[in-house]
Amino acid sequence: MGGPVLRSLRSPRVLIASGMIFCIAFCAIFAGFIAPHDPGDQNLVSILTPPAWAGGGDPSYPLGTDSLGRCVLSRLIYGARTAMLVAVFASIGAMIIGSILAHISGYFGGAIDWIIGRMVDVWMSFPPVILSLILMVGLGVGLDKVILAIVLVDWTRFCRVLRSEVLVVTRHDYIAAARLLGFTHWQTIVREVLPATLPLLITLVSLEMAIAVVVEAILSFVGLGVGADQPAWGQMIADARQYVYQSPWNLLLPILAIFLTVAAFNLLGDGLRRTLDVRLAETGR
Amino acid sequence: MIATVVRLIVRRLLAAIPILVVVSALLFCVLRLLPVDPAAMSLPPTATIAEVEAKRREMGLDRPLPQQYLIWLADALHGDFGRSIAFRREAGSLVAATLPATIELAFCAMVFAAILGVGGGVLLFHVRGTLFEPAADLASVLLLSIPEFLWGLILLFVFGVVLHLLPFTGEVSPGLPQPHITGFLLLDSLLVGRFDVFLSACQHLILPAVALGLAFSPTIMRVLRSSLFDVYHEDYIQQARLRGLSEGHILLGHALKNASLPTLTLAGVQFGILFSGTLLVEVIYSYPGMGNLMVDAVRNADLPLIQAIGLTYCIVVLVINTVVDSLYVVLNPKLRVR
Repeated sequence: MGGPVLRSLRSPRVLIASGMIFCIAFCAIFAGFIAPHDPGDQNLVSILTPPAWAGGGDPSYPLGTDSLGRCVLSRLIYGARTAMLVAVFASIGAMIIGSILAHISGYFGGAIDWIIGRMVDVWMSFPPVILSLILMVGLGVGLDKVILAIVLVDWTRFCRVLRSEVLVVTRHDYIAAARLLGFTHWQTIVREVLPATLPLLITLVSLEMAIAVVVEAILSFVGLGVGADQPAWGQMIADARQYVYQSPWNLLLPILAIFLTVAAFNLLGDGLRRTLDVRLAETGR
Repeated sequence: MIATVVRLIVRRLLAAIPILVVVSALLFCVLRLLPVDPAAMSLPPTATIAEVEAKRREMGLDRPLPQQYLIWLADALHGDFGRSIAFRREAGSLVAATLPATIELAFCAMVFAAILGVGGGVLLFHVRGTLFEPAADLASVLLLSIPEFLWGLILLFVFGVVLHLLPFTGEVSPGLPQPHITGFLLLDSLLVGRFDVFLSACQHLILPAVALGLAFSPTIMRVLRSSLFDVYHEDYIQQARLRGLSEGHILLGHALKNASLPTLTLAGVQFGILFSGTLLVEVIYSYPGMGNLMVDAVRNADLPLIQAIGLTYCIVVLVINTVVDSLYVVLNPKLRVR
């Protein structure tokens, strides 16, 4: 793994994307220290104030306030925490379920492969947005529910792409050799198959993080996301949409935040795909 | 020829039925996990416990889950999806009233996405090996990072709020009549000869359709470019060069035709995703389609309506995928001969 890691570290895409993700993650982790205000604190005397640089801005609210007089900058920073938590846990969860099923499916083949394949078919016939909305109705709002919904919807992305990779890897002679040496199936999968599929897995996780950020924003926008007490970018957009004439910045800033985060993860995924040289088929979105 | 295509489509649609049955069962189970009681919701708050019980029995909620599902499925096959709790109307008729608007939006968005995607893909391929390649490449990744709902908001802001160029709420300007013949507003307004309605509907459709199209074109661009790369390794491209054809003629006349096949398959999958992408765009533009209805239903925990809409989305997506699959077979001469 030393070679590919070094190679990917020399790719400008990977470097720039990592830098961006580091900044966002820094905001997310140290939100309590960076944010000038508590994200829930309402200052009803100064609602919808413009950013500090615009006329009528208040320097104590660098990016202005929203319709309830809450600090937009603080909410953006705390929103990064929500977005990153969802991105990390949802993509890892989807990765674990999807890759376990993919490895079982591709390695053993036969009836078990058929069953898992049909499961993926059924899942994918649900449009992802619709399925996650329906799941959120069933699960109720909350950060953990959003993560669970994304995991339940998106494990298929991993399963589908990884399965064909496992299928190819399993045909190699060294897998047969490992079996002849007396490796159990479990040992063969973990020690021989997994290292070969790992580059693809890492790339997929990165792309999935981008998707998770978007889905979280969508769910929060519709009002079925992390819940009203937790700041989220999608919520900020939904709120700002009603006051777009009074304070356009409140709408543009969370849009920018979502775009930068998603672009960073996509760029990282794209850079990794190129440098790790894996056969990643265009998987759609 | 047409008979073959029809037979093919019918066969594929029949193959999709088992999937649909499983999907509907899944939908049913997930929604039964809800901590709400549809019986209590459809009665006034003053109802006694005995009345709620009676209602539960009437709605079949006291029976085991599999039996409930079979009853629902049998009704659904007759076109009866139950009554919406919030709207107090047949869920099926609510869906039927909003589906045409959504189809219209999705269709226009797909046309736009295809034009932009093919144009962009050819352009991306054309700049290969030049200084523009890395920039074009990067641009396509960044474009991929703007989902439809961000495009919707950005376009609404720029063209609606700042420039005042286009309307951004509803389906037509308020005050104009909405003729009802087929349910498709663009078509109906032409049928009754109301060009002002048609024009207004077009104006209202532009922003949502472009937002949705913009979000889906980058994938088409990237796939078209990579299949153009594949095609250029084929011998007949070399042959065409030897015959003295211009590069432009080779690209547009020979390569594009062959590279469009894999792109078409992808466009089909994309169309399925695009169709569900209408949901967000409809919410943003207050467009009276199925997506807005879905969000209303979800907010009200309106079980029968959610079930009906969810199933409709799945059916539409399955049908689209089936038709595109069949088209692929028809267009690909290698698969046509049996």
